[in-house]
Amino acid sequence: MSETPRPELVVEGFPGRPRPRWIELTTSADHKELGRILITAAFGFLFLAAVELFLMRLQLAIPENSFMSPVGFNRMLSTYGATAVFFFAIPLVFGLFYYVAPLQIGARGTALPRLGQLGVALFGAGTVLFYSGFMFTPSEAGVNPLAPLTELAFLSNNGVDAWAAATGLATLGFVFLAIDLLTTLRRLRAPGMAWRRVPIFAWAATVGSWLMLVIGPVLLAALTMLMIDRNYDGIFFADGSGGAPLLWQHLSWIFFTGAYMLVLIFALGAIAEIFSTFSGKPLFNRPAVMVSLAAIAVIGTLAWMQNMMTAPIGIGWMYFAMLMSLALLIPFGLILFNLISTLAGGVLRMRAPLLFAIGAVSMISIGLAAELEQSLVAAAWQIKNTTDATAATHFALVGGAVFGGFAALYYWFPKMTGRTMGEYMARLSFWTMVVGTLVAFVPLFFAGAEQGQVIDAYKFFAGKGLDAYNLIASIGTLILFVGIVLTLVNAIQSRVNGAEAGHDPWGGDTLEWFTLSPPEPHNFDVLPDVRSPRPMRDIREAIANRTARDEQPAREQQPVA
Amino acid sequence: MAPHSPGTDQIDTLLWIGFIAAAIVVVAINVALFRVVRQYRSERGAEPRQLTSGRRIQFRVAGALTAFAAVVFILGIVFTDKAREQPSTGAAGLAAAKEEPLEIKATGQQWLWRYEYPNGAFSYYKLVVPVDTAVELDLVSTDVVHTWNVPDLAGKHDAVPGKTNHVVFRADDEGEFDGEAATLSGQAYAAMRTEVDVVSAQAYKEFLEQQKGDIEAAQKRVVGLIENGEVP
Repeated sequence: MSETPRPELVVEGFPGRPRPRWIELTTSADHKELGRILITAAFGFLFLAAVELFLMRLQLAIPENSFMSPVGFNRMLSTYGATAVFFFAIPLVFGLFYYVAPLQIGARGTALPRLGQLGVALFGAGTVLFYSGFMFTPSEAGVNPLAPLTELAFLSNNGVDAWAAATGLATLGFVFLAIDLLTTLRRLRAPGMAWRRVPIFAWAATVGSWLMLVIGPVLLAALTMLMIDRNYDGIFFADGSGGAPLLWQHLSWIFFTGAYMLVLIFALGAIAEIFSTFSGKPLFNRPAVMVSLAAIAVIGTLAWMQNMMTAPIGIGWMYFAMLMSLALLIPFGLILFNLISTLAGGVLRMRAPLLFAIGAVSMISIGLAAELEQSLVAAAWQIKNTTDATAATHFALVGGAVFGGFAALYYWFPKMTGRTMGEYMARLSFWTMVVGTLVAFVPLFFAGAEQGQVIDAYKFFAGKGLDAYNLIASIGTLILFVGIVLTLVNAIQSRVNGAEAGHDPWGGDTLEWFTLSPPEPHNFDVLPDVRSPRPMRDIREAIANRTARDEQPAREQQPVA
Repeated sequence: MAPHSPGTDQIDTLLWIGFIAAAIVVVAINVALFRVVRQYRSERGAEPRQLTSGRRIQFRVAGALTAFAAVVFILGIVFTDKAREQPSTGAAGLAAAKEEPLEIKATGQQWLWRYEYPNGAFSYYKLVVPVDTAVELDLVSTDVVHTWNVPDLAGKHDAVPGKTNHVVFRADDEGEFDGEAATLSGQAYAAMRTEVDVVSAQAYKEFLEQQKGDIEAAQKRVVGLIENGEVP
């Protein structure tokens, strides 16, 4: 390669001081800064969600408790739902996608950075609006607020309006992020990186972004209708005058079911990267995993009516929902088979990311199996809307978003900050969380499936065989809360005090480990030609070969006397 | 929960099938995962084997999963169909309900259930039905979505405003069965309960007459008071 002489670049220094960090942060359109804002905010809201869940469990620790008022409980429930879904799970997923995927495909930035910046700003506006609404009159309508309870006639204060506006702003933000990510993933891949060589997490980002592009606008449409109903005498969801309360259920469940799948797609993508790195093996049959991830997005979202098994929708649709739910066994089963086969034959380094990834697979498996039972139509008539359903959702989503999210955090934290998170605290946190999750949610299976305890109720009655289950579940929630806080504290401490990581602490195979930790604003000075799904491994092998070749003559030299 | 009707018997069986299927999934995944993790914990100097898979094994796994899902799906349909089958009124049941099920209208409202019987009598909170008799509840709502949920007698179903939903069941045993509404419907949702009293056909008839007589007497009294000008 011949060097072309370049004119010397003279950079005129900024007059005065460099701009303060917070201005840099709030005005930056760099995907790494924006991704870090999303991830940090998401974990902040995880803390809030955990506090809210614990407060609700405190109310439900003993029968007929009066710690919270009925209205207070409903407000806490609504706030918890929105926080966990819109301000923790989805932003965490998009934060990590947005930070990592462009690095993995060797992009020097995103394709539409200002759109991504707008997305993060809209998400931020949503959180501020929601929690300032929380100070006054939060929504009382539940996690998925079913019409017509949300109509003005039944909840006349501004809580539902604040809920709808805040979740709408955040969702619009996610849609913009998805557009930016998709454009980036399509247009800015490194030379040689065909789709069949795209890292699996970046593929998960592609599938997840497509999914958000489909389900986000559906929710936005439903929220718009709700706002028109409440503020401009609309009748979309009102009964009696041509409206249809069930319409809200269809539209909102399409979004919530899709979001559930989005979290699992994210988690499985991250777990696949971690399993592959920490076993030192390539992903077992990439094509099958890629196809299965896409299949989960499509089939899983089509199963939305699984949530409407007790509504008057006709038995045919219920069978359709059951068929879709059971068909999900195939892509999920294939992915888990390939993930476990990835570990087999490897040399497993049991570090924190692998530990959390294994925990995530285990928890997700319990959640999905419980969802399987929830999808059998007549069985759903008995166990839907009982705490069995609560437990199923929480196993899948705590497994996907919290265990999976923490696995991803431990894995990519060195890349984001240049420092590794503490291993001892990671282990402590992991085992506390495993115990906490099992103790918190397994009793709810029994309370729901055996005793029929209904969900969302601010109290339960004594003498129904529910006391012990609920008390144990409340204790478990506290343990889980402690476990979550341990990792959050670990992250805050390690940000300053963690061990220096270097650019590639785990020996990863994908291109994000080619950059500095944290990466320069432009990510890459040079890009390797991508020849396989494991470009970093190719580079390491090339270096090893060259070193071996260079060292060859040295060994043949005569020893010096 | 203990089944006391033919429908809930079927549901109970399906719940067990679902539980076994779920247990198979959980055990298979976790046993495989933990065995692999134990077996391949890092050993000094070992080299990871760079295995990837061919297509054939993927098709085999997918085939096995499809077969499993298909079996569960078919069992799900079979038992759901059995559970929603219209039960027939037995010998001890109400004679009038031999041909057509006894139709009772159940109206959900914040936060109470109202039951209307064929003879025009109605009751709040408590539903009285004859034993061994096919009953069809027509679920409607006057305000928000409510879920009628008496797990010992039937599956839960929603009362959605503007629509009519149906629950059919036949109580096999006399007794009192509790139920709690199962969809968040506002402040007093947790207090929205109901009770089904299953009584003999004779006692049911007596209840209907009594209830109708009481309602008419009360009605008359109110009308009388209004006519006398004692209440505005």
